[in-house]
Amino acid sequence: MSEFTRRSALGIAGVGTIAALTAGFPRLTGRDIPGRGSDDLTVAILGTAQDAAARQGLLQAFHAEHPDIPVRFQAIQGADWSDFFAKVLTLVAAGTPPDVVMVATEGAQLFADRLAEPLDSYVLRDADVMQDYFSDVHPALVEAFMYRGHLYQVPGDFNAADMYLNLAALRRAGLERPADDWTKDDFHTMLRAIKRTSPAGTVPFYWTNRLWGGVVPWLYANDTSILKQTQATGGEWLWKRFYSGDPAAAGRAGGPLWLEPNALDPRVEETFDFLRRIVAEGLGSSPAQGGGDTLVPQFASGRVGMTPAGGYWVQGLHEAGMPGSAYDVQFFPRWRSQRAQFGAAGYAIMRTSHRKDEAWEWIKFCTTRRGMQLSIPDPNTTPTRRSLVDAALYRGKGPAHWRVFYDTLDKFPGTGPIPAPPQQAAVETALIKNVVGAVTGSAAGTRGAMHRLQDDLSTALGSDR
Amino acid sequence: MTTSAPSRTQPSTTSKVGEKRVTATLSTQRRKERLLATVFLAPTVIGIFVFTVVPIVGSFLLAFFRWDIISSPRFVGLDNFTSLGTDRTLRVAFANTIAFVVVAVLLQLAVALALAVLVQGHLPTWLRSILRSVFFFPLILSAASVSIIMSYLFNQDFGLVNQVLTGVGLPDVPWLTSGPGAQLLVVLVYVWQNFGFSFLLFVGGLASIPRDVYEAAAIDGASGWRQFRQITFPLLSPTTLVASVMAVISALQIFDQPYVLTRGGPGDSTRTVVMVIYENAFQQLQFGRASAIGIVLTVFIMLATALQFRLSRRFIHYS
Repeated sequence: MSEFTRRSALGIAGVGTIAALTAGFPRLTGRDIPGRGSDDLTVAILGTAQDAAARQGLLQAFHAEHPDIPVRFQAIQGADWSDFFAKVLTLVAAGTPPDVVMVATEGAQLFADRLAEPLDSYVLRDADVMQDYFSDVHPALVEAFMYRGHLYQVPGDFNAADMYLNLAALRRAGLERPADDWTKDDFHTMLRAIKRTSPAGTVPFYWTNRLWGGVVPWLYANDTSILKQTQATGGEWLWKRFYSGDPAAAGRAGGPLWLEPNALDPRVEETFDFLRRIVAEGLGSSPAQGGGDTLVPQFASGRVGMTPAGGYWVQGLHEAGMPGSAYDVQFFPRWRSQRAQFGAAGYAIMRTSHRKDEAWEWIKFCTTRRGMQLSIPDPNTTPTRRSLVDAALYRGKGPAHWRVFYDTLDKFPGTGPIPAPPQQAAVETALIKNVVGAVTGSAAGTRGAMHRLQDDLSTALGSDR
Repeated sequence: MTTSAPSRTQPSTTSKVGEKRVTATLSTQRRKERLLATVFLAPTVIGIFVFTVVPIVGSFLLAFFRWDIISSPRFVGLDNFTSLGTDRTLRVAFANTIAFVVVAVLLQLAVALALAVLVQGHLPTWLRSILRSVFFFPLILSAASVSIIMSYLFNQDFGLVNQVLTGVGLPDVPWLTSGPGAQLLVVLVYVWQNFGFSFLLFVGGLASIPRDVYEAAAIDGASGWRQFRQITFPLLSPTTLVASVMAVISALQIFDQPYVLTRGGPGDSTRTVVMVIYENAFQQLQFGRASAIGIVLTVFIMLATALQFRLSRRFIHYS
């Protein structure tokens, strides 16, 4: 019997290692990722690989029209949009930026300022096709993606903060769905009634501490904001060409600018103080950080009376087993105004892309009725094309007054995007960190919190990047 | 075959040649061993160089530049360092981090030691194995996942913890929306997840203490508590030093738990230094400044470790 030496053992181990490395080379180098190393048009989206896979129908439809433009989705996970943008920036730093990025309002001006290609020439080049799109889309959504006179994204979906109403809680309190022009005092009265009549553990009003849907819709309703909003000049090329004669486009220009903090405006303090009283009376949650994920099952199980959310909630509530007849939606209550806030999202072409023309073809396709239908097959957001926000989208899911989602734009002309300058992430951090202190202490504490917020916002806006 | 032993007084010519041969053989063997060692060490050394040394040097250099990823870096000298002195958020974050380290490390070591003593005591072997696994298990979980689950459990309005508290007539606790509540929660989650490592060190340390010392003490009439105080604790001191150094270094770098649970809030109450580094880099796009803070933190960690070793001279007992 031959001896099995240590050398033999090492040799076999070495061969085995080399074989394993060779076999695993595609995995080690990422070559087994579909499209990696290819010349496909890369489209980065916030989400998981499953989210990317869910868009296969869109990819196939685009491929049928443009067989010469292979497209690959790059799903990038993130806790929120800021997290997503940070990861896109690391791709830029690594020298592997995507060609197209889905960007929400939160990052629109950051991308416009630093990373994105203006779309003006493309839009004008395909003006006939784009006219069909613009005729179907509210100008406020388009203006939100204009930066200093140029258009950087074509919005595909949006969400305004409307009020979701738990109809069981309302019935117990002897309340009806409020009128369209209900006020914040009506809202306050309703909360008291819900608290009085609901079982223990029910939260009459639940809100989260974030930029979208937190304190901002209240600030907008009170006709103020944490940042002073002004308007950039320019933009006539778009308004005159595509929105001529549309009264909703009157007075629109080159996009919003947020250059100065506004936390010391007495109306801001007044708004925070209103929320402080709601919390102090036990009518509203003390807002924790987070999105709506925690909240959907709570609302679906009837433990929340009212909460601000957008059209994106419909699919979530449906999946949580809440029938459309169990809840409804209404505009945000009126205060000094009934101006609402929204966030939108659309594709931006990266300046670094070598396939800008192909990228534009992708964007253009996604803005068509068919493209948008394929992009948004379920009511997990609100399409920007008015004609797609129809009964078919909400059939079997509800709510009864789904028209509220788009009417928020049509009925309240001042409705605009959440305050999102290029330094949005720092602005959001400044807001979030001061909200809890402002609404959980005394009235005197609110004023102190506003001064801290003003300082933090000044720092955020003045940060030299 | 027989060999004759060389004379001790008059070494023969043959033995000199033999010595040379032996020396040559040894030298060849050493070369082979060196080569083999190099081959085996190379992946680790290359890994350390590429993924640790280069980033450290890069980060150090970056601290002297202003860079936002998108534009070209601009040399600013010591500006990134000097501006840190006036950064209120950073000052608060440092204070939070130090306070966290003191509380979390003491709690972590105390829990780990107590449980290690319990497990090494008179327990059946099967139970001992189960408990070791149970106590170590949280360490292998992702900190982000744990924090997300904890944020559900400790939600003020819907969380299971507050439901239990109110169920037994106690008031609910604003875990995530009050400064003290959030700080306490971050400490608890961190300690729960990390005490397993110190626990394992202590289990090893306890196993290395000779049984006869305890037997002698028992014969002398020493109680269990006295044995712990005068035998276990002193003889565990080298282990305690290692555990505390590791725990302090780890705690000074805390990020995941407060980031996911509270995002540093309410206010700045749970903001830590690493969180400020992240915010500067990835939210404010001030990568040079973030690097400068990273260097300050590294120096701080080195000083803290040196201080621990310095202090340890007084308290460490080797058996």
